[in-house]
Amino acid sequence: MAMTPKVRIVLAASPACVCVIVATVAWARGTLIVHERFTPDKLGASTNLSVTGRFLSTTGGPSAPITKFTIYGPAGMTVDARDAGTCVAAKLRELGPNGCPANSRAGFGGGVGLLELPKETIREAYTLDFFFASKERGRLALLVYASAVSPVTVELVLVAREVRAPKPYGLGFSVEVPLISALPGAPYASVESVFATLGAANVAYYKTVRGKKTLTHLKGIVVPKTCPRGGFPSEGTIDFADGTNLTVNPTIPCPRK
Amino acid sequence: MPAQIAARAVVLALAVCVTLTATAQAAPSASIAPAFLPDRLGAKGALGLTIRYYGGESGVPSPVRRSVWRLPAGLSLEIPDLRSCAAAQLRAHGASGCPPQSQIGRGHALAEVHAGSQILTENIALWAFVGPLHNLQPTFEILGQGYTPFDERMVFTGTVRPDRAPYGEDLVMSIPTIPSLPLEPDVSIVTLSLTVGTSKVRRSHVANTIVVPSHCPAGGFRFAAEFTYADGSSGSALATAICPR
Repeated sequence: MAMTPKVRIVLAASPACVCVIVATVAWARGTLIVHERFTPDKLGASTNLSVTGRFLSTTGGPSAPITKFTIYGPAGMTVDARDAGTCVAAKLRELGPNGCPANSRAGFGGGVGLLELPKETIREAYTLDFFFASKERGRLALLVYASAVSPVTVELVLVAREVRAPKPYGLGFSVEVPLISALPGAPYASVESVFATLGAANVAYYKTVRGKKTLTHLKGIVVPKTCPRGGFPSEGTIDFADGTNLTVNPTIPCPRK
Repeated sequence: MPAQIAARAVVLALAVCVTLTATAQAAPSASIAPAFLPDRLGAKGALGLTIRYYGGESGVPSPVRRSVWRLPAGLSLEIPDLRSCAAAQLRAHGASGCPPQSQIGRGHALAEVHAGSQILTENIALWAFVGPLHNLQPTFEILGQGYTPFDERMVFTGTVRPDRAPYGEDLVMSIPTIPSLPLEPDVSIVTLSLTVGTSKVRRSHVANTIVVPSHCPAGGFRFAAEFTYADGSSGSALATAICPR
């Protein structure tokens, strides 16, 4: 009888990764290609921030497992969570995305994970669901539900926490990622690629205002009102389980006028 | 007569709702259910069409990119006070931006997209309008408006062309991509119901109505449709409305 290993982990993720735009960075074991954009791409507008990242290995094997993401977005970029609901981690853990209010949805994503076995490397698609959580000490927090179905079932609830960002950055997020052991004795899982879209452009929900059902538009991520010469600066740092880390400093191009 | 042609075009446009039946589970397919209201030969009333799409590995069928709807010969749309509405007007102002006389139908649709680990659904309200003539051919416009979770408006344009018996006219429609979110799949229409004309007994003398053919061919009124899906596949479907008693 075939067995499907199932891993259920709670970890903290950062929506901040969204701040990177386009960058290619080489490190000891390969290259990381990051691409990102605002949709719509307009100063001061409610937007969707989408990002893709792919590790290209030069050693033949997968990159080391990721243990932490820290990302700093450009100064002036804000997250307006007014009128958005919040999701509770315990509900998300227990019921999955159906356990979260629809208006707590903050984004979607996914990618491909790698499970290295003695005789083969398994590439497995996973999905990401982002939700607003209650603020922690006045700071934003997001829940990230990471899910993979086959051949290995994985469900993770991550908490992305807002962190202070040094100048010239504004909004920062950090998330710690637990090591994922899909099979006893097997190496920890790693990431080959990731994509995510966060934001609330054109997103609306009905809300009862003074007893009347009213369509309420969410703002979500808002593009800075001004763009510095050379584009929006951002920074992302990835910590790996082998003790190495990778820092990328992509610049988000200014919107075209 | 331009008005009559336009009316037929509208009817054909409505046919957009018609669908075919498919075979494989993952391959996209569709079914259609037409109904006349009232169901009486030569009667003025409405034509209701319901289409359902099936298939898709993720549980969401591939979006339809092109459809050709074939309507039974003799079916016509009576428009006492011909007015038209341009797609640009609909996009800018919605249904209220068009002359009321140009509206020929109402309906609703259910849209789905697989994003993250979930299938998101959205209810869409539909309106059908007479469009401006295009190369002397009648056209129609279908306006779709969804509110939550995405406040989006879309307009599709169809053209009408003559067909061979047992069909009267074709409605040809290119359906643009309906984007969901960056990096996520496009939106698929899963079900669509559209009623063209009006079945109200007490209706205005200028109300737009469908006129049921005065003769019913043996076996009933035949409807057909051909679809091309975004995944490159295509299919066809047949449906028959039984002859009124």
